[in-house]
Amino acid sequence: MKIAVLGAGPGGYVAAIKAAQLGASVTVIEDTEVGGTCLNRGCIPTKALVASAEALDKAKNIHDFGIELNGDVIPNIQKILERKNKIVNIQVKGIRGLFKSWGIKILDGKGFIVSANKIRVALKDGGAEEVETDKIIIATGSRPAQIPIFPFDGEKILSSDDALNLNNIPRSLLIIGAGVIGCEFAFIYREFGSEVTMVEMMPGAVSTEDEEISAILEKELKKRKIKLIANIKVEKIEIKENSVLTFLSDGRTIEAEKVLVSIGRAINSKDIGLENIGVKTGQRGEIIVNDKMETGIKGVYAVGDVTGGIMLAHMASKEGMIAAENAVGGDAVINRSVVPSAIFTSPEIASVGLREKQALDKGYRIKIGRFQFRALGKAHAMGEISGLIKIIADEQNDKILGAHIIGPHASDLIHEIALAVNKGLTVKDIADTIHAHPTLSEGIMEAAEDVHDSAIHVPKKQ
Amino acid sequence: MNPENIKYHKEHTWVKISGKKATIGITNYAQESLGDIVYIDLPEQDTSVEANTELSEIESTKTTSSVISPVSGTVMEVNEDLAETPEIINEDPYGKGWIAVLEIEDESQADSLMDVSEYEKYLEEEAKLK
Repeated sequence: MKIAVLGAGPGGYVAAIKAAQLGASVTVIEDTEVGGTCLNRGCIPTKALVASAEALDKAKNIHDFGIELNGDVIPNIQKILERKNKIVNIQVKGIRGLFKSWGIKILDGKGFIVSANKIRVALKDGGAEEVETDKIIIATGSRPAQIPIFPFDGEKILSSDDALNLNNIPRSLLIIGAGVIGCEFAFIYREFGSEVTMVEMMPGAVSTEDEEISAILEKELKKRKIKLIANIKVEKIEIKENSVLTFLSDGRTIEAEKVLVSIGRAINSKDIGLENIGVKTGQRGEIIVNDKMETGIKGVYAVGDVTGGIMLAHMASKEGMIAAENAVGGDAVINRSVVPSAIFTSPEIASVGLREKQALDKGYRIKIGRFQFRALGKAHAMGEISGLIKIIADEQNDKILGAHIIGPHASDLIHEIALAVNKGLTVKDIADTIHAHPTLSEGIMEAAEDVHDSAIHVPKKQ
Repeated sequence: MNPENIKYHKEHTWVKISGKKATIGITNYAQESLGDIVYIDLPEQDTSVEANTELSEIESTKTTSSVISPVSGTVMEVNEDLAETPEIINEDPYGKGWIAVLEIEDESQADSLMDVSEYEKYLEEEAKLK
């Protein structure tokens, strides 16, 4: 069985390895670098910057830990970017090494589907190659969406790709769109010293999260003097010699050295030859697939952002595994009911399952447990006490419907609940499990106990 | 220790009316219950606030809690000192720890609030309930 994978992001490279594990002969075609957006322009590089920002924050507040520091604490953006690039390169090599170990062939170039059994590749270093294949897995991903009237210029109007490679820390930064990407960059650049303003069409920041969590994040933005202007549209933009002037729908103008546009992702389904085989796309250009990740064309699969579903790296990877299994003759079906998500703001946000409002809209009678990080000894020892754990449970059978966390290590803590939701565990199951002390995970146990009003470290409710 | 020239709300806030100005803070009982205050989310100027709704939010080392406005009005002034040193509220809840000044339409709206002896009796009753 020969399988060609178009795109080596977290959807494609995982599909390739899975297919090779299942015995297929696999060729991967990638026109930028293996690891895709996630590794080269997304998850990993931003987390490298977040780590630098956190180190800077610790250093600035080192006195709180009883440590004296003689001298200034200064972020050196060149060194920060070097560190980030080094981290990315290690991971890139890692994926290439995995490919090698599984005998996966990688073609560095742009692939174009000629037929359901043939992909033509324009190689990066010149020349072309044709790949004969039995099955195709399309994983071409997405790119930053831009606003047509002021496209990215890489200098003053930045995409999230550009914002990962600024050689100078801007004096001031206006971020259009206070979603996941916008908020992560807001905290990073604010910590590095930029004056940051965010504008958002929706009523608040990270509006896809549980309302209580968004409200706490907005307070954290305020604490750091990141200005958020919500319920507002950008009317136009004027590029000045050394700045950008942004006109808002309420008549206000904001001048900033640079503007970061983070309004979402555009789908990469054009110019890859879909029309040659008749693969159907939707309104946003997303490739339409069934729950086996197969397109309308037999033997042609699509996974990840290009299918326009849940645009998260780990979702793409799971879809890649399902597509690979099915491509080699399996009968696997994707399950998207329990997909944890994480936002690397300060503090972090993570969630899984239903939000409070969603659960109510679906007609559940719910009970909620809450626990604040500031009631944990470990959080105080770490000096990170802000945040909340919120568990939403079905009142009738005690099953956990969802959880929402804002606080230190939220992105790691969420998985206990993800397992619980996935396996239909009850609040009692978690509350009855002994959690090690002193840890942040105790907060999960306490939040579960709070669903039944029996948390030990919560004062008696009146 | 609770002053006599101010009025008290059952959510443990106080208000001092002088003409159209209403200065608001939290009571000594509130600051003691909260413990060490580490942050206050100050209201923004010119926002209007209804009586019995949240004026501000306080974070202490133990908990987070709403500051309930005892009167309705528009925020004229906020205590900016609290932004950097919120612990002033612990030290001097009725003085330097004031939170905001509202401009009020109707001065009589404080009449229905408790005076100091009523508030102290209220605290005793609350303590018995616990």
